[in-house]
Amino acid sequence: MAGRSTRGMNGSNGSRTAPARAAALADLLHYECSTLLELFRKKENFTEDVTDRRLVSVPPPSSQLDTRDKLWRIHSALLQCQKLLEKAVAKEEKELGGGKKGEYENKRKLVKERLPLLILSTGELLKAAEGTTSLTPSVEGLEVDVPTGLLDLKLWVYQVYKEVNYWSKTAANTLKDLPSVIVKEGARTTRARNRRSTRR
Amino acid sequence: MAHLSLTPTSKLISSGFVWLLWIVLGFSASHTHADTGLTVPQRVTLSPNWYTQELSISWLGGGATTFDLIILRTEFNETVFYETVSPTVNKVSGLHQWTWTSVNPLECTSLSVKIRSRDGHTTSEWSQTETLQGNDHPNSEQRVKVFPQDKVLPVGANITFCCILDEGMVLDKLKYDGNTTSVTRLSRRTYSTTVFNLVASRQSGSNMLCLPEDKEKLYGTVVFVGYPPLPIDFKCETHDLRSAVCQWGKGRDTHLYGSQRGTRYFVNNRDCSEVNQDVGQKEATCTFDTWEGNWTLVAKNLLGQYSLTDTAELSHRVCPVAPDLLSVVADAWNASLSWHWKYDSYSSLALVCQVEITATEDEKLIKRVFSGVGLRSVFLSDLYPDEHYSVKVRCGAQQNFWKWGNWSKLSSFKTKTYVPDTPDAWIWLNTDNTGKVVWKPLTRRQSHGKLTQYEVFLWSLEENRALAPAVTLPPNNWSMPVNLTEIAFFSNNGSVVAKVTARNNAGSSPPARVHLTSVEPLAAPRIVYTDQGFPLFWENNANATCGYVVEWLDAFCPQDCPVEWIKLPAGTTNVSIESATFQPGVRYNLSLYSCSSDARELLKRWQGYMQELVPSVALTLSASQQNADVLLTWKEIPLVNRRGFLLGYNIYNSTGYQFKLLENVSDPETMSYTAKDFAKGFIKGTFKFTVKAYTAAGENTGTTATVTIEPYTDWLILEILTSLGLVTLLLAIVTFTCYKKRKWVKKAFYPDIPEPKLPSDWPRTRGLLDVKPSPHSMVCVVETPEYDCIKDMLVAIPEEDEDDAGQGIGDESVDTDEPTSLRYYNQMVDERPIRPRFPDSSASSISSMSSAHTDVTYTGIQTSGSSLVLQLDPQGSSECHQPQLDRSVSSGGGGYRPQMQPRAPSDDMDLPSPESFLEPQAACSGGYKPQGSWQLDSPVDAAEMGSLAPSLGSPTSVASTQFLLPDGEENTGEKRQLSSSAASWLTNLLSSTKP
Repeated sequence: MAGRSTRGMNGSNGSRTAPARAAALADLLHYECSTLLELFRKKENFTEDVTDRRLVSVPPPSSQLDTRDKLWRIHSALLQCQKLLEKAVAKEEKELGGGKKGEYENKRKLVKERLPLLILSTGELLKAAEGTTSLTPSVEGLEVDVPTGLLDLKLWVYQVYKEVNYWSKTAANTLKDLPSVIVKEGARTTRARNRRSTRR
Repeated sequence: MAHLSLTPTSKLISSGFVWLLWIVLGFSASHTHADTGLTVPQRVTLSPNWYTQELSISWLGGGATTFDLIILRTEFNETVFYETVSPTVNKVSGLHQWTWTSVNPLECTSLSVKIRSRDGHTTSEWSQTETLQGNDHPNSEQRVKVFPQDKVLPVGANITFCCILDEGMVLDKLKYDGNTTSVTRLSRRTYSTTVFNLVASRQSGSNMLCLPEDKEKLYGTVVFVGYPPLPIDFKCETHDLRSAVCQWGKGRDTHLYGSQRGTRYFVNNRDCSEVNQDVGQKEATCTFDTWEGNWTLVAKNLLGQYSLTDTAELSHRVCPVAPDLLSVVADAWNASLSWHWKYDSYSSLALVCQVEITATEDEKLIKRVFSGVGLRSVFLSDLYPDEHYSVKVRCGAQQNFWKWGNWSKLSSFKTKTYVPDTPDAWIWLNTDNTGKVVWKPLTRRQSHGKLTQYEVFLWSLEENRALAPAVTLPPNNWSMPVNLTEIAFFSNNGSVVAKVTARNNAGSSPPARVHLTSVEPLAAPRIVYTDQGFPLFWENNANATCGYVVEWLDAFCPQDCPVEWIKLPAGTTNVSIESATFQPGVRYNLSLYSCSSDARELLKRWQGYMQELVPSVALTLSASQQNADVLLTWKEIPLVNRRGFLLGYNIYNSTGYQFKLLENVSDPETMSYTAKDFAKGFIKGTFKFTVKAYTAAGENTGTTATVTIEPYTDWLILEILTSLGLVTLLLAIVTFTCYKKRKWVKKAFYPDIPEPKLPSDWPRTRGLLDVKPSPHSMVCVVETPEYDCIKDMLVAIPEEDEDDAGQGIGDESVDTDEPTSLRYYNQMVDERPIRPRFPDSSASSISSMSSAHTDVTYTGIQTSGSSLVLQLDPQGSSECHQPQLDRSVSSGGGGYRPQMQPRAPSDDMDLPSPESFLEPQAACSGGYKPQGSWQLDSPVDAAEMGSLAPSLGSPTSVASTQFLLPDGEENTGEKRQLSSSAASWLTNLLSSTKP
């Protein structure tokens, strides 16, 4: 991968090393989020796992997706993750917090602060791939349904963490698989993405 | 009726009984129901409180005060509650009401309630069943539900959860905080479990999970377990003399947090919760604009509330704020500190303030307290010039002191410089009247500012003028050389003092005066160092008007020595000198000087070591041999290397494997030692001598000198010659004495053998000597059992047979001096080597040697080759036999037993009795008796012997070469051989001396 990263990259805008940096950041976020999940499981005595329930809605992966589509996909998922995570943290703090801050709270804060960095990186890559007139995904219309019961709230928070964990890993893999040269493909796929972004 | 007609009496009776029974039953029935006036409760209403799990049941009518109440789980028709209750009655509406608390949440399953009136044993009909529909009802929402939801309970409480599954779902288990619990089925879809004695939950609560078998999703609820609030130390105070600030401690952890479950605080009904939500903060506060005097704190959470009150006057609760805007105006030795108060109301308040001053130099803390109305400045005295300080202040109300206010911020300042202190000066003189004026460096505290220089004046006391211009020295120079000879020249031998001053930016210090006079040395006694130093004592000196100076320095320092001193006030008579510069093994001279305006005077001196060590160097040792002596000489150890007071020397001699102390020389002045006669008795060899000097700390490693001892031959030769001369002289004296006393010697050691006594009837005629062995002619010497008497027979052997026998024997020599008439031989013929034979006397010999001319020779002493062979008794018998010549000759037997042969242990041997000679057996046990103990010569003995007398002559041959006196019976054969050879030598000697 390192060889691929350095082989044909265009160094004019710094995008030659940006995917690698973003992949490393995604790896780090994935590691932190895995730790956060483990801390949450221990804290709540969740010995049984539950079937994953997708909270993030993005187009399904496909071999036909080009680089920009892949970037757009993970960028969109991470943006949704960020919104979910912010909501989860706020709700959890309100309903279940108020006590002393421990390791779990510190790790939660770390993940919450690191996720925007990854989003920023993928956004930069997406801009690099699409040009300045790129249409970045938006989560303004995204509605988050927060459970009312406290156990359901815990399960939802747990699910949000799992989503962050999943998409950070996916982002890492995707970024590592990106081609060395991110070329501007124009707005060919913009319309298609606009259509996809409305799907849930 | 036929029956009646047949038996009219019985019919009548039976029909009457039936009617009576019907009447009784009818009465009874009317009494227990409507007929008694009890009505069935109407309009039964159920009002659930879902959170508290209370079911309020109300109804109308009934006409009774007590009612039977039955509650059933509708679906399984299981009775949950069935009791007679006394409900409350609303007198206006007539509504009866009773509340039942369910163990299970009311949502868990549907409950059916029936009521009937009761008056004693009389009850009404049951009311219509009223049902509280549970969440497991088929018409309710089809999803998994768990109750109760998000409940808050106190620590130690019990709780029952229920889980309502969807249709068709199967419960796997219920888990509380990770632990599976036991399950009770309440209805077709509802399962419950109870957790007892709850413990405090974590911040996010404890989870109750309902796990269906498909496990697609987790269901459950959260329960929070904690404590009601318990605040402590509720007090209110004022800072501005107007408002109130109330404080309290939050007390124990309630385990309930957040805006939903956290504790809320109210002071005088004012909500103070918002500012006290931080769980990490142990203290909480609430501020009021006015001083109310009475305050009540109420702390609440979902589990309960707690109240505290406080009452106080404002003047008793004054806690001033921290002083603000500190400013300092500093002088050299003091400073003025002032500050501002935030509130003008303090101007009339009597305050007490603490001031903490910390010197930067040594970080020493100085605490001072000031007081005053509206105090806002203080004067700080006793500071040091040119010193950095930091200061802070806090205050409290002087009257009705409540507590100290907060500390102000630190303020720093520096005092001004000042002229230095007078230097502490002294003088050190060498032996050549040169020396130096020295002074101790001024410390920072003594300098009062950065020193710029030192100045030294040489001042004539008589002329009261300076002998020379002042000598200026840099601040890092603390001595100035002087030459008293030159000074005396310039001052005309007048008194001169050196004046030493220090200077800084603030000016010059007062001068230190040192008299430049030499002193005569004094004897210095030894002084012992103690834990407190060198203890010095002296008598007060009236001339010491300005005190004393004790000076000390290394005793062996030759020139310009680093001298130390201490100045003592007048009247002092003792001091202990301690110094960080004292070193072990260094001798110090300590001198006491008196100080006066005219001169200095040496009063006393001491010498001592802080700690004595062994000498650091070895001696220079030489050893030499002086005839038989060894002389050791060594050189003195240099004083500086002694490292202690030398006490003497130990002299050792090393002999290879032994290190022996020869001498302890306790006089340290002794420089030699002579090992007397050391070389005597030694052959040539190398010897090592070690000399070790010792102090109170022990001896040093010593020096070894090797000396090769030449044998002292003159003495040896002299001794040998002396010994030889003495031996020669002794031999000459012995020889001369023996010669002079030869008769006595002969008599004593070789007496003449007496002539045999012949009886008068002794036949003088010559004839054939008929030698017949007397029955008693046998000499039976029994020495040991193996000797038979028969072996010891004496056998007379004809002369003519002797040659043959002698030839037959071979090389046995024959005593040719013997008479040829008859010779007696005895010989023990056995296979053993021929042993010396001793002379014997026997009756047979007497009888056979009747002639006076016949010499009887005891040839046993000689190794004569005898033809007489005495063979051993083949029988080995020990019996004594009568001598039979033929047999004896032919058969041989045992030989003659020498008289020196030890006898067999026998009482008869020790105490011979006459009878022992009479009995052959007794004779057998006896041995040969030497002449010296010959007893039968006496007439009495002869008479007693009877017929033995004729044969008991005891012939003594003068030609015998044997001692006839017996040796000890215990002599061994070897001893006999030695004595025989010695006797032969002596006999020859004496024979040669015969006239």
